[in-house]
Amino acid sequence: MDGPDIPTSVNEPLDLVKLSLSERVFVKLRGDRTLQGVLHAYDAHMNLVLSEVEETVSIIDVSEDGVAQGVRTAKRNMDMLFVRGDAVIMIAPPSS
Amino acid sequence: MSDNAAAPAPPAETSGSPAEFLKNVVGKEVKVRIGQGIDYQGNLSCLDGYMNVAMENTKEMVDGKVTASFGDAFIRGNNVLYISAMEDI
Repeated sequence: MDGPDIPTSVNEPLDLVKLSLSERVFVKLRGDRTLQGVLHAYDAHMNLVLSEVEETVSIIDVSEDGVAQGVRTAKRNMDMLFVRGDAVIMIAPPSS
Repeated sequence: MSDNAAAPAPPAETSGSPAEFLKNVVGKEVKVRIGQGIDYQGNLSCLDGYMNVAMENTKEMVDGKVTASFGDAFIRGNNVLYISAMEDI
């Protein structure tokens, strides 16, 4: 076998992530966070390395009596980011 | 006690093991529920032993309302609460 083993179809779920390498992916994390960035590396834990990342945090404002007042979002950008796999809920490659 | 000798009658209908269900549901329209009332509905591409899931034409639904849609989606298995078949298997 020569060259990296790039799957041409999805036989197991991790193939979908492998096909997304070097692509701009959407990642949903625990704690109402989402990321969009270029996927550089991943492993079986779903530890991820992303570059040119925009993180969006949804913040639900709650009044003193516990009633939700609305949702705000806060964004920040990072050049390079390592994500610990256990925070990952969902990964979506760019829709082609 | 002689009463105890009688084995309980087996269930009238069984449809195989959980693993068999998962095998049969690949390629079908499914709803995958993760915590917090969030569902992903789409065509199930494949699963693995961790219950990681790959889906196609996926809609994200919060409390039954569509909030996003994705061409493909990978869901990390630990988040899966259940997988529900949306069509006959």
